[in-house]
Amino acid sequence: MQVAVVGSGLAGFTAYQALRRVLSPEEIVVFGTADDPAATFRAHAAAIRQREMRSESDGHCLPATFPGLAFRASVARRSPGPLLATAADRFHPTVDEFLAHVDQLRARSGWERSLVSRRIERVQTVAGGFELDGEGPFPHVLIATGHPGLNVPDELRDDPRVVHAYEPHDYASSVTVVGAGLAAATEWLNALAAGAEVVSVRRRDAVRQPLNVPREYFSRRGLAGFHALGAAERAARLRTLLAPSYPRGRAFDAPLAAAVMENRFRVAERVNGTEQVICATGFRRGFEHDPLLSRLVREQGLETVDGWIVLAPDATVSALTDETRTLSLAGVAAQWAFPAADTLTGARYVAHGLLARIRACRTR
Amino acid sequence: MSYTLRGRIESRLAALVPLVAAACVLALAEHKWWPVEAAGLMVGVGVALDTQAYDRVLRYQPGWAALPLGLIELGAVLGLMRLAGVMAPLWQAIALFAGGWLVAQLLGHAGFPLLRLSYAEDGGELGRIGAVAAVSVGVALASAGATAYALRPPVVHLSAGVHQGPLVITRREVLVGDPGATVRGGIVIRASGVTVKNVSVVGGENGITVDGVRGTVLDGVSVSGAKLDGIHVRLGGVMIKNCTIDMLGNDLGQGIDISYNMGMGMSMVEGCTIVGGMEGITTHSSMSDIMNNRVSRTAKRGISVTEMSMGMVMDNDVQNADGIGIWCNDRSMCQIERNTVVDTSGTGFGVLASFQSEANLWQNKLGANPVPAKAIVDSEVLRQQDFSYR
Repeated sequence: MQVAVVGSGLAGFTAYQALRRVLSPEEIVVFGTADDPAATFRAHAAAIRQREMRSESDGHCLPATFPGLAFRASVARRSPGPLLATAADRFHPTVDEFLAHVDQLRARSGWERSLVSRRIERVQTVAGGFELDGEGPFPHVLIATGHPGLNVPDELRDDPRVVHAYEPHDYASSVTVVGAGLAAATEWLNALAAGAEVVSVRRRDAVRQPLNVPREYFSRRGLAGFHALGAAERAARLRTLLAPSYPRGRAFDAPLAAAVMENRFRVAERVNGTEQVICATGFRRGFEHDPLLSRLVREQGLETVDGWIVLAPDATVSALTDETRTLSLAGVAAQWAFPAADTLTGARYVAHGLLARIRACRTR
Repeated sequence: MSYTLRGRIESRLAALVPLVAAACVLALAEHKWWPVEAAGLMVGVGVALDTQAYDRVLRYQPGWAALPLGLIELGAVLGLMRLAGVMAPLWQAIALFAGGWLVAQLLGHAGFPLLRLSYAEDGGELGRIGAVAAVSVGVALASAGATAYALRPPVVHLSAGVHQGPLVITRREVLVGDPGATVRGGIVIRASGVTVKNVSVVGGENGITVDGVRGTVLDGVSVSGAKLDGIHVRLGGVMIKNCTIDMLGNDLGQGIDISYNMGMGMSMVEGCTIVGGMEGITTHSSMSDIMNNRVSRTAKRGISVTEMSMGMVMDNDVQNADGIGIWCNDRSMCQIERNTVVDTSGTGFGVLASFQSEANLWQNKLGANPVPAKAIVDSEVLRQQDFSYR
């Protein structure tokens, strides 16, 4: 066995698609608890009634950006519309289109043949690579365990009115939405559409930008400078880049402006007496909330900065990677290498790095 | 995509590899260098804009931006081709550019991402492929340049003073006259690819005769005292620029007569001054563009396009023709734009289309002509925005 992927979510699945370029399903093992790589995303999208992806044409799980989802949508719809829209960065695949594509890839890539239903709790270095809970050794390991749980502010944790945006819920007649990112903005619109009065509680004004981070940070143009920063500056830059944001556009602005006119939407500094409180506050942040990564850092003495594990630019753990073995992190844990690591493009970035390592590996 | 500078240059050069190859093949097939010269200019303009403008201004370049940027580059390339004297057929040059642009788009959006999986996140950098592409483009253009240099025609200098003619040129060469170089008795060109520059011709049956050869360039020549025509072209392709022709006292000859070269591509007469003669510039069964010339005091017509000829007559100044300023005759098709025709005398037509011809007029100034414009004998004059005055 050549490669082990720990985690069967979208980041692991994207890496799997890239690995399949050079390896057969029998040479890859994926440890995870869900057969469906989109299971978590599917549940979250359903909870916030998300219909369109924030990502664009290249927000898919294949290793090459072409053909993107716009091209596929053009073929499927027999219309040049998606291609023209993507030329202006205005194409966003529907959630259904994205999920259908994941299902298609899952069926044809041999995913089930590689999947082992098991939660890995420990990664150990051994001769020849890494052991995963005694399995192995594997010369190349990718850890893609995903977000370490939903984040609910401490002061609201025991409040019976509270539900997290990514948990199934309906809307009461008065709703407070905590947060300022895309999930919060989506929940404002959902609650307004359900007839509720909405109070937005947020610590800062939302950043309005099309993608999670500015576009240049998706390529070497922005990443080269980012990678050159010292540890403290890099952590500060990451905090700035990862501030909650949602896209500009009438789709958000028009309903909110109408609701303000009707006194059904306002901003407040703290949670007040509404019937329901929806925490659109994302996920818990920091490796220490992930038992596997936390243990790895502790046992291997890995360098960390402000909740991030320090990684090489290709998202490998430098202290545990050499010409014969690779340990990479994917998903949110790889933000030190790629600020938008918890996106599909980020997952692809990490997958490319891992693929390059495997291709260059002396023992392969 | 957010290109790095290196990514921009590598992507551009790799995308231009097919275009440079096509230009080399075209040059070999047509025995003309303009495709390679045009490709070289496209590379130069593109890389210059990449380094000096795009990289600084465009931190992120959306897909749609390729269209306006392509049009800017097309304008710059065409302008530089004109400045550098690259003699390319306009529409073929535009087609070459458009083809290259289209291939570049296909490669940038589909080919390169498939070839190099990390193409987008690498900011357009192509690694070894980029280096190989850069070297390939450089080698191809350098080879073409070296070949062009090796095959360039010999340059013959004609010293100042009077040389007795007729001077007959029977090999491909560039004949350059030193200031004051004059040939008495005419020049006859009997080889393809001949260029004659800055030579004065006095007398001769015709001042300059081009018969049955291609690729003749007459640049800065002056002709006077010819018995028949000033410049006489039969079955030949020519580019005549910046000439001066004095036909005063010869009411039977033509200043420039280009005839029966329909199958030899476009000929051109540009920037010439012609005085006297029966007709200033005339074409018969020819595809010719006649632009920016000054024709005056002709005994019959200023400019005539006749016998199933086709071409543009643009930005010319025709004065004192005794009969017709611009004549489109005998089943010819003429695009007549932005000319000034004044003081036509005799029967006095500023523009006349006759015998099943079609003249399309646009923004001409037709002044002090007895009849500004007319169509006779099954012909048609389509007029748009012409300005006539008496």
